[in-house]
Amino acid sequence: MTVVQISFFVLAVASVASALGVITFKNAVHCALSLILTLLFLALFYLQLGAMFIAVVQILIYAGAIMVLFLFVVTMLASEASDTRLADRIPWQRWVAGILGLVLVGALSYLLFTGTSIDNRAVATGANSLSHVVNAQGNTEAFGQALFHGFVYPFEVTSLLIIVALLGAMVLGRKA
Amino acid sequence: MPLSAYLIVSAILFTVGVVGVLIRRNPLIIFMSIELMLNAVNLSFVAISSKLDSADGQMFVFIVLTVAAAEVVVGLAIIVSIFRTRRDIDVDDMNLLRG
Repeated sequence: MTVVQISFFVLAVASVASALGVITFKNAVHCALSLILTLLFLALFYLQLGAMFIAVVQILIYAGAIMVLFLFVVTMLASEASDTRLADRIPWQRWVAGILGLVLVGALSYLLFTGTSIDNRAVATGANSLSHVVNAQGNTEAFGQALFHGFVYPFEVTSLLIIVALLGAMVLGRKA
Repeated sequence: MPLSAYLIVSAILFTVGVVGVLIRRNPLIIFMSIELMLNAVNLSFVAISSKLDSADGQMFVFIVLTVAAAEVVVGLAIIVSIFRTRRDIDVDDMNLLRG
């Protein structure tokens, strides 16, 4: 077992365990904290895969900004922030959901083990490859170059999306 | 590590998110499960990007991150405004567009 394999298995078990925490904890604050833990483990996965910039952005934006927003709302609605004590109207849903989840993960794993392989012609080589640009210029520079050379239009559309989300939140948040 | 190892972890995390959406009745936790699913997909994007030695997958992750931020802002605003008009929390009760 190499260091990479050991760290992979530790991260895999930890991220799945904290993800299960998100859906099993009774208290919504605990769920949010568990989700933050999952996001941090995923950031470590990204580091392991060599995506430094994405890892830092994951911590800053996801675990930082988005989850702080979540925790604000959860604490704002603290008195109501756990599941109701009302009787479940569709009690069989839990079991059906568990069985369907097992079916889904089984089907996905089966397909991944039997159907997926990456064609060697699809792997970038030479000056086009990410590792080449990263070695020549650095990680964030390679990311920026790829973003502003091939993805300028989606990047600009993103700004429109953020404006719309901002306006939407302001409209929904005003006193009715 | 082989690519399929990362994809399996991603599939498991995605399934946990799906099951979370199905079994929880608190809209906030359903929302968190949706975030979990988005992150599972991001993991497979980054893994494939690293195996293909191309930055495209990381671009997709960047866009997904932005869309998730916008989605959380609007979604939480909707949840807060629902809580303001109705005092209960069960998603089974939120079956009207106007309540």
